[in-house]
Amino acid sequence: MAGEIFNPNPTIFSTKPTVRKSDLEKQSLWINEKVVQDDNADGPDPIDQDEIFDLIRSIDDPEHPNTLEELRVVSAPQVNVNGNHVLVEFTPTIPHCGMSTLIGLSIRVRLLRSLPDRYKVDILLEPGSHQSEHAVNKQLNDKERVAAALENPALLESVEQCLSGAGRRGHSE
Amino acid sequence: MAPPPSYTISPLAVLPGHTERAWHIAWNPTRPLLASCSADKTVRMYAYTPACKFTHVSTIATGHTKAVRALAWALSGRTLATASFDSNIGVWEQEPNGEADGEGTEGGEWECASQLEGHETECKSVAYSSTGTLLASCSRDKTVWIWEVHPDADFECMGVLMDHSQDVKCVVWHPTEEILASASYDDTIKLYIDDPSDDWFCFATLTGHTSTVWSLAFSPDGRYLASGSDDRTVRVWKRVSAQELRWECVLVLDGHERSVYSVSWSVGVAEEGNKSLGWLASTGGDGAIRVWAFSEPEGEEMAGSSIAPPEHRLIASIGSAHGVYDVNAVAWCPRDGHTDLLASAGDDGATRVWRVGVA
Repeated sequence: MAGEIFNPNPTIFSTKPTVRKSDLEKQSLWINEKVVQDDNADGPDPIDQDEIFDLIRSIDDPEHPNTLEELRVVSAPQVNVNGNHVLVEFTPTIPHCGMSTLIGLSIRVRLLRSLPDRYKVDILLEPGSHQSEHAVNKQLNDKERVAAALENPALLESVEQCLSGAGRRGHSE
Repeated sequence: MAPPPSYTISPLAVLPGHTERAWHIAWNPTRPLLASCSADKTVRMYAYTPACKFTHVSTIATGHTKAVRALAWALSGRTLATASFDSNIGVWEQEPNGEADGEGTEGGEWECASQLEGHETECKSVAYSSTGTLLASCSRDKTVWIWEVHPDADFECMGVLMDHSQDVKCVVWHPTEEILASASYDDTIKLYIDDPSDDWFCFATLTGHTSTVWSLAFSPDGRYLASGSDDRTVRVWKRVSAQELRWECVLVLDGHERSVYSVSWSVGVAEEGNKSLGWLASTGGDGAIRVWAFSEPEGEEMAGSSIAPPEHRLIASIGSAHGVYDVNAVAWCPRDGHTDLLASAGDDGATRVWRVGVA
């Protein structure tokens, strides 16, 4: 997949100060068990569009040494929060991107592990951005398929690799 | 004419214990037992008294290497089949405990009597036919398998049906005839029957849903079929001609706000006497449980040939049945005297039991 857009200067979309309280930093929301459900996430920084974007921006692209934010695969305007419903749209870098399902799955797992259980999350390709848009969307939003995929060790390992740096939340280190 | 009664769904029991989401539940047809299965790879068994007090009586560790997605009791009430994401079907029998009583809940350990291999990928559903002589299974490998049940937990494969173009989510048998229905990620429902030489074939494909069909349930009299879909609707299909085996969609029920994961149809506790077609329960990702009462359409000219929809009324519904969690399955209790009991399984890992009764 040659000729990718490679943006060495990641754009920061947040319009709020990105400084976080240090105790919130230490209690990274990304650990393998659920943290105390609501209080931390709802505390100083409410779960809004920016908070969710913050959770997913530093997921690594499976094929390139860049985050999804750097490649403009995810962006804050493409995250929609309405009560307990979250919609994330993402844009693969090319219309026949074979990694789209893995990227979508990584976003889903990140949010599954980070958000309180009350959230219902839908993950869709940005309309018109992929030639198999319906097929990819259907897989990403089939709960049973997602659950079975995560019981596949090889696939889970690929997801974990994409998620390994997700706690950076837009910071370079 | 008296106004129709209003009903409520009352919580009877909350049965936690699974350490991961509970996918499915099944009521034993002859004994007071309720079983649930989970992504934690176990089956939990609950016994209940005539007064509906539920207690956990055993856990089957199963030995499946991945989630147990579905289960089904054999007619005898002494055998249980499990469908797992590890692609196998487990068949479990209880060690006799010296008590000959077939009605009780006592008994020994549950042992694996047989393991049915063959599916290439995750099994999604398993079902025994009404006579108990056949077992059907389905999988993400797009196939439906039909097995003949022989004594001593011996199973013979009678057919591998490859009619769906995608993942098959659910199989259910007709309540009185040997007709099988399957629901799929390909948005269709297929019906199968065997020809005189015992070859199984698909005789009808029901289209109409606009997304994955998750669950199916035949009406107790076998003339209707309900389906629940990712398109958030429940559809009711009617057998329009017994000879031609033709089924048409006669009703589309809206109301769920997210995917409908499960439907279950039972005789209910009818107030309309013999015009009642029973009660249909549905549930899904919105956490709601909805119950519809059906009865014969008015002025049906010739039995079986009209495509008039049944009379239908939403008699009860409850939101957040498992709190904020998705509800994955609902099932009516089939035993006499308890047909107003409804069990549900949720992503909270709990099994809950409800009674639907007049308010």
